[in-house]
Amino acid sequence: MSRTTTESLFLKRWRNRLKSPILWQGVIGVTSFFVVWQLARTLGFMTLIPGPVEVAAALPREMKQDGYWLSWVASSQRVFGGFIAAALLAVALGVLMGMSRKLRDTTFPFMEIMRPIPPLAWLPLAILFWPSPEMTMMFLTFLGAFFPIFINVLSGIDNIDIRYVQAARSLGSSQRTLFWRVMVPGALPSLFTGLSIAIGITWEVVIAAEMASGQRGLGYLTWNAYMGHSMVGILVGMLSIGLAGMVSSGLMSWFGTRAMPWRRR
Amino acid sequence: MAIPLSKNPIAANPRGGLGSGVASVHNPSVEDPAHRRRYDERLMRSADWPTSPSDWTGRLRRTIKDARVRRAAFGFMVFFALWYLLTAVVVPPRFNFIPNPVYLFEQWTSQTPEYGISMYSPLYYEHIGVSTARVYTAFAISVGLGAPLGIFLGWSQLGRNLIFPIIELLRPIPPLAWVPLAVLTLPATEAAVIVVTLLASFFATVLNTYLGVRSIPETYLRAAACLGYGRLDVLRRVIIPGALPFIFTGLQIAMGVAWFSLVGGEMISGRSGLGYLILDGYTQLALPNIFIGMITLGVLGWFSSALIRKVGNVLMAWNTQGRGESQ
Repeated sequence: MSRTTTESLFLKRWRNRLKSPILWQGVIGVTSFFVVWQLARTLGFMTLIPGPVEVAAALPREMKQDGYWLSWVASSQRVFGGFIAAALLAVALGVLMGMSRKLRDTTFPFMEIMRPIPPLAWLPLAILFWPSPEMTMMFLTFLGAFFPIFINVLSGIDNIDIRYVQAARSLGSSQRTLFWRVMVPGALPSLFTGLSIAIGITWEVVIAAEMASGQRGLGYLTWNAYMGHSMVGILVGMLSIGLAGMVSSGLMSWFGTRAMPWRRR
Repeated sequence: MAIPLSKNPIAANPRGGLGSGVASVHNPSVEDPAHRRRYDERLMRSADWPTSPSDWTGRLRRTIKDARVRRAAFGFMVFFALWYLLTAVVVPPRFNFIPNPVYLFEQWTSQTPEYGISMYSPLYYEHIGVSTARVYTAFAISVGLGAPLGIFLGWSQLGRNLIFPIIELLRPIPPLAWVPLAVLTLPATEAAVIVVTLLASFFATVLNTYLGVRSIPETYLRAAACLGYGRLDVLRRVIIPGALPFIFTGLQIAMGVAWFSLVGGEMISGRSGLGYLILDGYTQLALPNIFIGMITLGVLGWFSSALIRKVGNVLMAWNTQGRGESQ
Protein backbone atom coordinates (compact mmCIF):
# COMPACT_ATOMS: atom_id res chain seq x y z
CA MET A 1 0.00 0.00 0.00
CA SER A 2 2.60 2.50 1.10
CA ARG A 3 4.85 1.20 -1.63
CA THR A 4 2.41 2.15 -4.37
CA THR A 5 2.01 5.64 -2.95
CA THR A 6 5.76 6.21 -2.86
CA GLU A 7 6.01 4.91 -6.41
CA SER A 8 3.32 7.20 -7.66
CA LEU A 9 4.96 10.04 -5.76
CA PHE A 10 8.20 9.21 -7.53
CA LEU A 11 6.48 9.17 -10.92
CA LYS A 12 4.71 12.39 -10.11
CA ARG A 13 7.93 14.08 -9.16
CA TRP A 14 9.49 13.03 -12.45
CA ARG A 15 6.51 14.18 -14.41
CA ASN A 16 6.73 17.56 -12.70
CA ARG A 17 10.41 17.73 -13.43
CA LEU A 18 9.80 16.97 -17.12
CA LYS A 19 7.22 19.73 -17.27
CA SER A 20 9.39 22.37 -15.63
CA PRO A 21 11.21 24.88 -17.82
CA ILE A 22 14.40 24.51 -15.74
CA LEU A 23 15.10 21.08 -17.19
CA TRP A 24 14.42 22.11 -20.77
CA GLN A 25 16.46 25.26 -20.53
CA GLY A 26 19.29 23.21 -19.08
CA VAL A 27 19.04 20.76 -21.95
CA ILE A 28 19.10 23.65 -24.41
CA GLY A 29 22.16 25.14 -22.69
CA VAL A 30 24.15 21.91 -22.74
CA THR A 31 23.09 21.09 -26.29
CA SER A 32 24.09 24.50 -27.54
CA PHE A 33 27.46 24.07 -25.83
CA PHE A 34 28.07 20.90 -27.84
CA VAL A 35 26.68 22.46 -31.00
CA VAL A 36 29.00 25.46 -30.70
CA TRP A 37 31.92 23.13 -30.07
CA GLN A 38 31.02 21.02 -33.11
CA LEU A 39 30.43 24.08 -35.30
CA ALA A 40 33.77 25.55 -34.31
CA ARG A 41 35.32 22.29 -35.42
CA THR A 42 33.45 21.90 -38.71
CA LEU A 43 33.85 25.54 -39.66
CA GLY A 44 37.55 25.24 -39.04
CA PHE A 45 38.08 27.57 -36.07
CA MET A 46 39.50 24.75 -33.99
CA THR A 47 42.04 22.84 -35.96
CA LEU A 48 43.61 21.04 -33.03
CA ILE A 49 40.74 19.95 -30.83
CA PRO A 50 38.41 17.28 -32.23
CA GLY A 51 34.68 17.90 -32.11
CA PRO A 52 32.22 16.04 -29.92
CA VAL A 53 31.14 13.77 -32.78
CA GLU A 54 34.68 12.54 -33.31
CA VAL A 55 35.14 11.98 -29.59
CA ALA A 56 31.89 10.05 -29.37
CA ALA A 57 32.86 7.96 -32.39
CA ALA A 58 36.24 7.15 -30.87
CA LEU A 59 34.81 6.36 -27.44
CA PRO A 60 34.23 2.59 -27.95
CA ARG A 61 37.69 2.12 -29.41
CA GLU A 62 39.35 4.03 -26.58
CA MET A 63 37.41 2.10 -24.01
CA LYS A 64 38.47 -1.19 -25.56
CA GLN A 65 42.19 -0.44 -25.35
CA ASP A 66 43.80 -2.64 -22.75
CA GLY A 67 44.23 -1.04 -19.41
CA TYR A 68 41.31 1.35 -19.72
CA TRP A 69 39.23 -0.27 -17.00
CA LEU A 70 42.33 -1.19 -15.05
CA SER A 71 43.24 2.47 -14.87
CA TRP A 72 39.81 3.21 -13.38
CA VAL A 73 40.50 0.59 -10.74
CA ALA A 74 44.03 1.84 -10.06
CA SER A 75 43.02 5.48 -9.69
CA SER A 76 40.02 4.67 -7.52
CA GLN A 77 42.14 2.54 -5.24
CA ARG A 78 44.60 5.39 -4.75
CA VAL A 79 41.86 7.93 -4.22
CA PHE A 80 39.85 5.91 -1.76
CA GLY A 81 42.86 4.47 0.07
CA GLY A 82 44.20 7.90 0.89
CA PHE A 83 40.76 9.36 1.39
CA ILE A 84 39.59 6.78 3.92
CA ALA A 85 42.83 6.96 5.89
CA ALA A 86 42.61 10.75 5.91
CA ALA A 87 38.96 10.73 6.93
CA LEU A 88 39.59 8.39 9.87
CA LEU A 89 42.59 10.29 11.16
CA ALA A 90 41.10 13.73 10.54
CA VAL A 91 37.88 12.88 12.33
CA ALA A 92 39.71 11.38 15.30
CA LEU A 93 42.09 14.32 15.56
CA GLY A 94 39.38 16.88 14.91
CA VAL A 95 37.20 15.46 17.68
CA LEU A 96 40.10 15.27 20.12
CA MET A 97 41.16 18.82 19.36
CA GLY A 98 37.60 20.04 19.42
CA MET A 99 37.21 18.74 22.94
CA SER A 100 40.59 19.55 24.45
CA ARG A 101 41.71 23.14 24.63
CA LYS A 102 45.30 22.29 25.50
CA LEU A 103 45.82 19.82 22.69
CA ARG A 104 44.33 22.29 20.29
CA ASP A 105 46.55 25.17 21.38
CA THR A 106 49.59 22.93 21.06
CA THR A 107 48.95 21.42 17.63
CA PHE A 108 46.67 23.76 15.73
CA PRO A 109 49.25 26.48 14.91
CA PHE A 110 51.55 23.80 13.57
CA MET A 111 48.73 22.48 11.37
CA GLU A 112 48.07 25.99 10.14
CA ILE A 113 51.67 26.20 8.95
CA MET A 114 51.52 22.86 7.16
CA ARG A 115 48.15 23.44 5.54
CA PRO A 116 49.09 26.01 2.89
CA ILE A 117 51.80 23.77 1.44
CA PRO A 118 50.11 22.34 -1.68
CA PRO A 119 49.88 18.52 -1.53
CA LEU A 120 51.64 18.23 -4.87
CA ALA A 121 54.70 19.99 -3.48
CA TRP A 122 55.17 16.87 -1.37
CA LEU A 123 55.46 14.69 -4.46
CA PRO A 124 59.27 14.48 -4.81
CA LEU A 125 59.74 13.95 -1.11
CA ALA A 126 57.04 11.29 -1.05
CA ILE A 127 58.61 9.47 -4.00
CA LEU A 128 61.92 9.36 -2.17
CA PHE A 129 60.43 8.44 1.17
CA TRP A 130 57.84 5.78 0.43
CA PRO A 131 59.07 2.43 -0.87
CA SER A 132 56.44 1.93 -3.59
CA PRO A 133 54.73 4.31 -6.05
CA GLU A 134 51.36 3.08 -4.78
CA MET A 135 52.17 4.28 -1.27
CA THR A 136 53.50 7.56 -2.62
CA MET A 137 50.24 8.34 -4.33
CA MET A 138 48.13 7.25 -1.39
CA PHE A 139 50.21 9.51 0.83
CA LEU A 140 49.54 12.43 -1.50
CA THR A 141 45.80 11.76 -1.65
CA PHE A 142 45.89 11.41 2.11
CA LEU A 143 47.51 14.83 2.46
CA GLY A 144 45.08 16.39 0.02
CA ALA A 145 42.06 15.00 1.83
CA PHE A 146 43.25 15.40 5.41
CA PHE A 147 43.21 19.16 5.87
CA PRO A 148 39.76 19.97 4.47
CA ILE A 149 38.15 17.19 6.51
CA PHE A 150 40.06 18.13 9.62
CA ILE A 151 39.24 21.84 9.42
CA ASN A 152 35.58 21.10 8.79
CA VAL A 153 35.27 18.65 11.67
CA LEU A 154 36.86 21.17 13.98
CA SER A 155 34.64 24.03 12.87
CA GLY A 156 31.62 21.74 13.04
CA ILE A 157 32.34 21.02 16.68
CA ASP A 158 33.08 24.69 17.37
CA ASN A 159 29.81 25.78 15.85
CA ILE A 160 27.59 23.49 17.90
CA ASP A 161 25.18 25.73 19.73
CA ILE A 162 26.30 25.85 23.35
CA ARG A 163 22.64 25.77 24.39
CA TYR A 164 22.33 22.24 23.02
CA VAL A 165 25.16 21.14 25.27
CA GLN A 166 23.65 22.98 28.22
CA ALA A 167 20.23 21.49 27.54
CA ALA A 168 21.65 17.99 27.36
CA ARG A 169 23.57 18.57 30.56
CA SER A 170 20.59 19.88 32.44
CA LEU A 171 18.58 16.88 31.28
CA GLY A 172 21.22 14.78 32.97
CA SER A 173 23.11 13.33 30.02
CA SER A 174 26.31 11.41 30.60
CA GLN A 175 29.52 12.30 28.78
CA ARG A 176 28.96 9.47 26.34
CA THR A 177 25.41 10.48 25.53
CA LEU A 178 26.55 14.06 25.12
CA PHE A 179 29.14 12.89 22.62
CA TRP A 180 26.93 10.56 20.58
CA ARG A 181 23.68 12.52 20.75
CA VAL A 182 24.88 16.11 20.59
CA MET A 183 28.44 16.41 19.36
CA VAL A 184 28.30 13.84 16.57
CA PRO A 185 24.99 14.90 14.98
CA GLY A 186 25.99 18.53 15.42
CA ALA A 187 29.27 18.09 13.60
CA LEU A 188 27.98 15.79 10.82
CA PRO A 189 26.84 18.44 8.30
CA SER A 190 30.18 20.15 8.49
CA LEU A 191 31.98 16.81 8.26
CA PHE A 192 30.16 15.97 5.06
CA THR A 193 30.99 19.37 3.59
CA GLY A 194 34.61 18.54 4.32
CA LEU A 195 34.31 15.08 2.81
CA SER A 196 32.85 16.37 -0.44
CA ILE A 197 35.56 19.02 -0.77
CA ALA A 198 38.19 16.43 0.03
CA ILE A 199 37.05 13.90 -2.54
CA GLY A 200 37.37 16.54 -5.26
CA ILE A 201 40.88 17.40 -4.12
CA THR A 202 41.97 13.77 -3.97
CA TRP A 203 40.95 13.25 -7.61
CA GLU A 204 42.92 16.31 -8.57
CA VAL A 205 45.96 15.15 -6.65
CA VAL A 206 45.85 11.64 -8.01
CA ILE A 207 45.62 12.86 -11.61
CA ALA A 208 48.64 15.11 -11.21
CA ALA A 209 50.63 12.48 -9.35
CA GLU A 210 49.91 9.89 -12.03
CA MET A 211 50.90 12.31 -14.75
CA ALA A 212 54.15 13.16 -13.04
CA SER A 213 55.19 9.77 -11.77
CA GLY A 214 52.66 7.07 -12.25
CA GLN A 215 52.09 3.74 -13.77
CA ARG A 216 48.50 3.02 -14.74
CA GLY A 217 45.62 5.21 -13.66
CA LEU A 218 43.36 7.66 -15.45
CA GLY A 219 45.89 10.49 -15.21
CA TYR A 220 48.51 8.28 -16.80
CA LEU A 221 46.06 7.28 -19.52
CA THR A 222 45.57 10.94 -20.40
CA TRP A 223 49.28 11.61 -20.20
CA ASN A 224 49.95 8.63 -22.48
CA ALA A 225 47.52 10.01 -25.03
CA TYR A 226 49.33 13.34 -24.78
CA MET A 227 52.66 11.65 -25.40
CA GLY A 228 51.18 9.93 -28.44
CA HIS A 229 49.65 13.25 -29.59
CA SER A 230 46.23 11.65 -29.59
CA MET A 231 43.80 14.50 -28.99
CA VAL A 232 40.84 12.16 -28.88
CA GLY A 233 42.61 10.10 -26.25
CA ILE A 234 43.23 13.20 -24.13
CA LEU A 235 39.56 14.18 -24.33
CA VAL A 236 38.38 10.68 -23.49
CA GLY A 237 40.77 10.68 -20.54
CA MET A 238 39.44 14.03 -19.33
CA LEU A 239 35.88 12.81 -19.75
CA SER A 240 36.61 9.69 -17.71
CA ILE A 241 38.28 11.70 -14.97
CA GLY A 242 35.34 14.11 -14.83
CA LEU A 243 32.93 11.21 -14.65
CA ALA A 244 34.93 9.55 -11.89
CA GLY A 245 34.96 12.77 -9.87
CA MET A 246 31.22 13.22 -10.41
CA VAL A 247 30.44 9.67 -9.28
CA SER A 248 32.61 10.05 -6.19
CA SER A 249 31.05 13.30 -5.07
CA GLY A 250 27.61 11.85 -5.80
CA LEU A 251 28.57 8.97 -3.52
CA MET A 252 29.55 11.43 -0.80
CA SER A 253 26.26 13.30 -0.93
CA TRP A 254 24.40 9.97 -0.93
CA PHE A 255 26.25 8.97 2.23
CA GLY A 256 25.46 12.40 3.62
CA THR A 257 21.72 12.02 3.20
CA ARG A 258 21.89 8.48 4.61
CA ALA A 259 23.80 9.64 7.68
CA MET A 260 21.67 12.73 8.26
CA PRO A 261 18.08 11.70 7.58
CA TRP A 262 16.81 14.79 9.40
CA ARG A 263 18.25 16.99 6.66
CA ARG A 264 16.48 15.18 3.83
CA ARG A 265 13.91 17.36 2.16
CA MET B 1 28.50 45.22 52.73
CA ALA B 2 32.16 44.80 52.12
CA ILE B 3 31.92 42.05 49.53
CA PRO B 4 31.37 44.15 46.38
CA LEU B 5 34.32 46.31 47.29
CA SER B 6 36.62 43.34 47.62
CA LYS B 7 35.61 42.14 44.13
CA ASN B 8 37.18 45.28 42.74
CA PRO B 9 40.88 44.44 42.33
CA ILE B 10 42.05 48.00 42.97
CA ALA B 11 40.10 48.37 46.17
CA ALA B 12 41.14 44.95 47.40
CA ASN B 13 43.90 44.58 49.90
CA PRO B 14 47.18 44.55 47.96
CA ARG B 15 48.51 41.86 50.26
CA GLY B 16 45.69 39.60 49.04
CA GLY B 17 44.36 37.16 51.54
CA LEU B 18 41.16 37.81 53.39
CA GLY B 19 41.33 41.58 53.51
CA SER B 20 38.25 43.41 52.27
CA GLY B 21 37.80 47.00 51.18
CA VAL B 22 36.59 47.98 54.61
CA ALA B 23 39.59 46.44 56.30
CA SER B 24 41.95 48.17 53.88
CA VAL B 25 40.92 51.57 55.17
CA HIS B 26 42.66 50.65 58.38
CA ASN B 27 45.60 49.13 56.53
CA PRO B 28 48.43 51.64 56.47
CA SER B 29 50.16 49.95 53.50
CA VAL B 30 47.35 51.03 51.15
CA GLU B 31 47.88 54.64 52.00
CA ASP B 32 51.58 54.28 51.35
CA PRO B 33 52.02 55.68 47.77
CA ALA B 34 55.06 53.52 46.93
CA HIS B 35 53.18 50.43 47.86
CA ARG B 36 50.20 51.51 45.82
CA ARG B 37 52.35 52.14 42.79
CA ARG B 38 53.93 48.70 43.03
CA TYR B 39 50.53 47.18 43.32
CA ASP B 40 49.28 49.08 40.28
CA GLU B 41 52.26 47.92 38.27
CA ARG B 42 51.63 44.32 39.19
CA LEU B 43 48.01 44.75 38.23
CA MET B 44 48.89 46.21 34.84
CA ARG B 45 51.19 43.34 34.07
CA SER B 46 48.43 40.82 34.61
CA ALA B 47 46.93 39.09 31.58
CA ASP B 48 43.62 40.89 31.23
CA TRP B 49 44.64 44.49 31.69
CA PRO B 50 43.91 46.34 28.45
CA THR B 51 46.89 47.71 26.52
CA SER B 52 47.03 50.50 23.99
CA PRO B 53 47.97 49.40 20.47
CA SER B 54 51.09 51.57 20.53
CA ASP B 55 52.47 49.94 23.68
CA TRP B 56 54.78 47.44 21.97
CA THR B 57 56.65 46.18 24.98
CA GLY B 58 53.43 45.67 26.87
CA ARG B 59 51.92 43.74 24.02
CA LEU B 60 55.03 41.67 23.57
CA ARG B 61 55.10 40.82 27.26
CA ARG B 62 51.43 39.91 27.02
CA THR B 63 52.06 37.67 24.02
CA ILE B 64 54.85 35.81 25.74
CA LYS B 65 52.76 35.32 28.84
CA ASP B 66 49.74 34.03 26.93
CA ALA B 67 49.21 30.34 27.56
CA ARG B 68 48.08 29.75 23.97
CA VAL B 69 51.25 31.22 22.54
CA ARG B 70 53.33 29.15 24.90
CA ARG B 71 51.51 25.99 23.93
CA ALA B 72 51.93 26.77 20.24
CA ALA B 73 55.65 27.35 20.76
CA PHE B 74 55.82 24.07 22.63
CA GLY B 75 54.13 22.30 19.71
CA PHE B 76 56.62 23.71 17.22
CA MET B 77 59.52 22.84 19.47
CA VAL B 78 58.34 19.25 19.69
CA PHE B 79 58.05 19.09 15.90
CA PHE B 80 61.53 20.48 15.26
CA ALA B 81 63.06 18.37 18.02
CA LEU B 82 61.51 15.25 16.49
CA TRP B 83 62.68 16.25 13.04
CA TYR B 84 66.20 16.83 14.30
CA LEU B 85 66.18 13.64 16.32
CA LEU B 86 65.02 11.52 13.38
CA THR B 87 67.42 13.01 10.84
CA ALA B 88 70.56 13.79 12.81
CA VAL B 89 70.69 11.64 15.95
CA VAL B 90 68.88 8.34 15.41
CA VAL B 91 68.30 7.85 11.72
CA PRO B 92 65.68 5.21 10.86
CA PRO B 93 66.08 3.50 7.45
CA ARG B 94 64.10 5.78 5.16
CA PHE B 95 64.99 9.02 6.87
CA ASN B 96 68.64 9.13 5.85
CA PHE B 97 68.15 11.45 2.88
CA ILE B 98 66.06 14.04 4.71
CA PRO B 99 68.19 17.02 5.69
CA ASN B 100 68.03 18.02 9.33
CA PRO B 101 66.51 21.41 10.19
CA VAL B 102 69.78 22.97 11.31
CA TYR B 103 71.52 22.09 8.05
CA LEU B 104 68.50 23.30 6.12
CA PHE B 105 68.54 26.63 7.87
CA GLU B 106 72.27 26.97 7.26
CA GLN B 107 71.76 26.30 3.57
CA TRP B 108 68.91 28.75 3.36
CA THR B 109 70.91 31.55 4.95
CA SER B 110 74.32 30.73 3.47
CA GLN B 111 76.07 32.95 0.95
CA THR B 112 77.41 29.94 -0.92
CA PRO B 113 74.71 27.26 -0.77
CA GLU B 114 75.63 23.75 -1.83
CA TYR B 115 72.80 23.49 -4.35
CA GLY B 116 72.59 27.08 -5.53
CA ILE B 117 69.39 28.14 -3.79
CA SER B 118 69.42 30.31 -0.69
CA MET B 119 68.02 33.63 0.41
CA TYR B 120 71.01 35.34 -1.23
CA SER B 121 70.75 33.74 -4.65
CA PRO B 122 68.90 35.75 -7.32
CA LEU B 123 67.62 32.51 -8.85
CA TYR B 124 65.52 31.90 -5.75
CA TYR B 125 63.77 35.26 -6.16
CA GLU B 126 63.35 34.63 -9.85
CA HIS B 127 61.41 31.42 -9.11
CA ILE B 128 59.34 33.21 -6.48
CA GLY B 129 58.64 36.10 -8.84
CA VAL B 130 57.60 33.83 -11.70
CA SER B 131 55.27 31.74 -9.54
CA THR B 132 53.73 34.74 -7.83
CA ALA B 133 53.17 36.53 -11.13
CA ARG B 134 51.48 33.44 -12.56
CA VAL B 135 49.21 32.96 -9.58
CA TYR B 136 48.16 36.58 -9.40
CA THR B 137 47.60 36.85 -13.15
CA ALA B 138 45.47 33.74 -13.10
CA PHE B 139 43.67 34.92 -10.01
CA ALA B 140 42.94 38.34 -11.49
CA ILE B 141 41.59 36.82 -14.70
CA SER B 142 39.46 34.28 -12.90
CA VAL B 143 38.00 36.88 -10.58
CA GLY B 144 37.47 39.33 -13.42
CA LEU B 145 35.54 36.72 -15.38
CA GLY B 146 34.13 34.61 -12.58
CA ALA B 147 32.60 37.23 -10.30
CA PRO B 148 30.52 38.94 -13.03
CA LEU B 149 29.44 35.55 -14.37
CA GLY B 150 28.46 34.43 -10.88
CA ILE B 151 26.45 37.60 -10.31
CA PHE B 152 24.77 37.19 -13.67
CA LEU B 153 23.89 33.56 -12.91
CA GLY B 154 22.46 34.52 -9.55
CA TRP B 155 20.53 37.41 -11.00
CA SER B 156 18.99 36.10 -14.18
CA GLN B 157 16.81 33.04 -13.97
CA LEU B 158 17.05 32.28 -17.67
CA GLY B 159 20.82 32.74 -17.70
CA ARG B 160 21.13 30.42 -14.74
CA ASN B 161 18.99 27.72 -16.31
CA LEU B 162 20.92 27.87 -19.56
CA ILE B 163 24.50 28.22 -18.36
CA PHE B 164 24.63 26.51 -14.98
CA PRO B 165 24.35 22.97 -16.39
CA ILE B 166 27.34 23.63 -18.64
CA ILE B 167 29.39 24.72 -15.63
CA GLU B 168 28.28 21.66 -13.73
CA LEU B 169 29.35 19.56 -16.71
CA LEU B 170 32.86 21.01 -16.87
CA ARG B 171 33.52 21.50 -13.17
CA PRO B 172 34.21 17.89 -12.17
CA ILE B 173 37.17 17.74 -14.56
CA PRO B 174 40.15 18.61 -12.36
CA PRO B 175 42.23 21.52 -13.68
CA LEU B 176 45.31 19.37 -13.90
CA ALA B 177 43.56 17.04 -16.32
CA TRP B 178 43.52 20.03 -18.67
CA VAL B 179 47.31 20.19 -18.72
CA PRO B 180 47.88 18.03 -21.82
CA LEU B 181 45.14 19.81 -23.75
CA ALA B 182 46.41 23.23 -22.69
CA VAL B 183 49.99 22.42 -23.54
CA LEU B 184 49.11 21.12 -26.99
CA THR B 185 46.65 23.83 -27.99
CA LEU B 186 48.12 26.99 -26.45
CA PRO B 187 51.13 28.53 -28.15
CA ALA B 188 53.30 29.21 -25.07
CA THR B 189 53.95 27.13 -21.95
CA GLU B 190 53.44 30.28 -19.92
CA ALA B 191 49.87 30.54 -21.19
CA ALA B 192 49.29 26.83 -20.53
CA VAL B 193 50.41 27.09 -16.91
CA ILE B 194 48.29 30.19 -16.34
CA VAL B 195 45.20 28.60 -17.88
CA VAL B 196 45.59 25.52 -15.71
CA THR B 197 46.02 27.74 -12.66
CA LEU B 198 43.01 29.89 -13.38
CA LEU B 199 40.56 27.07 -14.16
CA ALA B 200 40.18 25.93 -10.57
CA SER B 201 39.93 29.40 -9.12
CA PHE B 202 37.46 30.39 -11.83
CA PHE B 203 34.98 27.71 -10.82
CA ALA B 204 35.43 28.47 -7.12
CA THR B 205 34.75 32.17 -7.75
CA VAL B 206 31.72 31.58 -9.97
CA LEU B 207 30.09 29.13 -7.58
CA ASN B 208 30.62 31.19 -4.47
CA THR B 209 29.51 34.42 -6.09
CA TYR B 210 26.42 32.67 -7.38
CA LEU B 211 25.65 31.28 -3.92
CA GLY B 212 26.23 34.73 -2.48
CA VAL B 213 23.68 36.33 -4.78
CA ARG B 214 21.21 33.55 -4.04
CA SER B 215 21.71 34.05 -0.31
CA ILE B 216 20.37 37.62 -0.42
CA PRO B 217 16.95 37.64 1.26
CA GLU B 218 14.07 38.26 -1.12
CA THR B 219 12.84 41.01 1.22
CA TYR B 220 15.89 43.17 0.46
CA LEU B 221 15.05 43.09 -3.23
CA ARG B 222 11.44 43.93 -2.51
CA ALA B 223 12.46 46.77 -0.21
CA ALA B 224 14.74 48.13 -2.93
CA ALA B 225 11.92 47.89 -5.45
CA CYS B 226 9.57 49.72 -3.09
CA LEU B 227 12.12 52.49 -2.69
CA GLY B 228 12.21 52.87 -6.44
CA TYR B 229 15.61 51.45 -7.25
CA GLY B 230 16.33 50.77 -10.89
CA ARG B 231 18.01 47.56 -11.95
CA LEU B 232 21.47 49.12 -11.88
CA ASP B 233 20.89 50.55 -8.43
CA VAL B 234 19.76 47.17 -7.19
CA LEU B 235 22.90 45.63 -8.59
CA ARG B 236 25.19 48.23 -7.05
CA ARG B 237 23.46 48.74 -3.70
CA VAL B 238 21.92 45.36 -2.94
CA ILE B 239 23.34 42.50 -4.98
CA ILE B 240 27.05 43.27 -4.86
CA PRO B 241 27.26 44.20 -1.16
CA GLY B 242 24.97 41.31 -0.27
CA ALA B 243 27.10 38.81 -2.13
CA LEU B 244 30.44 40.17 -0.90
CA PRO B 245 30.86 37.86 2.11
CA PHE B 246 30.38 34.80 -0.08
CA ILE B 247 32.55 36.29 -2.81
CA PHE B 248 35.41 36.69 -0.39
CA THR B 249 35.00 33.18 0.94
CA GLY B 250 35.18 32.11 -2.69
CA LEU B 251 38.25 34.22 -3.31
CA GLN B 252 40.06 32.58 -0.44
CA ILE B 253 39.24 29.15 -1.76
CA ALA B 254 40.21 30.33 -5.23
CA MET B 255 43.59 31.53 -4.02
CA GLY B 256 44.24 28.21 -2.31
CA VAL B 257 43.40 26.13 -5.35
CA ALA B 258 45.33 28.52 -7.60
CA TRP B 259 48.56 27.82 -5.69
CA PHE B 260 47.72 24.16 -5.67
CA SER B 261 47.17 23.91 -9.42
CA LEU B 262 50.15 26.15 -10.10
CA VAL B 263 52.47 23.64 -8.45
CA GLY B 264 50.97 20.83 -10.51
CA GLY B 265 51.17 22.83 -13.72
CA GLU B 266 54.76 23.86 -13.10
CA MET B 267 55.78 20.35 -12.20
CA ILE B 268 54.25 18.83 -15.27
CA SER B 269 54.96 21.42 -17.90
CA GLY B 270 56.85 24.39 -16.47
CA ARG B 271 60.41 25.50 -17.00
CA SER B 272 60.56 27.83 -14.01
CA GLY B 273 58.78 28.65 -10.79
CA LEU B 274 58.69 27.07 -7.37
CA GLY B 275 56.98 23.88 -8.53
CA TYR B 276 59.75 23.44 -11.04
CA LEU B 277 62.33 24.17 -8.35
CA ILE B 278 60.90 21.33 -6.27
CA LEU B 279 60.81 18.87 -9.15
CA ASP B 280 64.28 19.94 -10.22
CA GLY B 281 65.49 19.37 -6.68
CA TYR B 282 64.15 15.85 -7.03
CA THR B 283 65.78 15.04 -10.38
CA GLN B 284 69.12 16.44 -9.22
CA LEU B 285 68.76 15.04 -5.71
CA ALA B 286 69.17 18.50 -4.18
CA LEU B 287 67.07 17.83 -1.11
CA PRO B 288 67.47 21.23 0.54
CA ASN B 289 65.98 22.86 -2.54
CA ILE B 290 62.87 20.70 -2.24
CA PHE B 291 62.39 21.81 1.33
CA ILE B 292 63.11 25.45 0.59
CA GLY B 293 60.59 25.33 -2.26
CA MET B 294 57.91 23.71 -0.09
CA ILE B 295 58.34 26.09 2.79
CA THR B 296 58.37 29.11 0.48
CA LEU B 297 55.18 27.88 -1.19
CA GLY B 298 53.55 27.45 2.19
CA VAL B 299 54.50 30.95 3.29
CA LEU B 300 53.39 32.54 0.01
CA GLY B 301 50.10 30.65 0.06
CA TRP B 302 49.43 31.63 3.63
CA PHE B 303 50.34 35.23 2.92
CA SER B 304 48.04 35.40 -0.11
CA SER B 305 45.00 34.18 1.76
CA ALA B 306 45.79 36.47 4.69
CA LEU B 307 45.88 39.35 2.22
CA ILE B 308 42.45 38.44 0.87
CA ARG B 309 41.05 38.14 4.38
CA LYS B 310 42.43 41.57 5.19
CA VAL B 311 40.98 43.19 2.06
CA GLY B 312 37.67 41.46 2.72
CA ASN B 313 37.53 42.73 6.28
CA VAL B 314 38.24 46.27 5.13
CA LEU B 315 35.60 46.14 2.39
CA MET B 316 33.03 44.59 4.69
CA ALA B 317 33.64 46.45 7.91
CA TRP B 318 29.93 46.19 8.62
CA ASN B 319 29.88 42.46 8.37
CA THR B 320 32.96 41.01 10.08
CA GLN B 321 30.84 39.41 12.75
CA GLY B 322 28.60 37.55 10.36
CA ARG B 323 31.54 36.43 8.30
CA GLY B 324 33.19 34.89 11.28
CA GLU B 325 30.09 32.87 11.90
CA SER B 326 29.63 31.69 8.37
CA GLN B 327 33.08 30.19 8.17
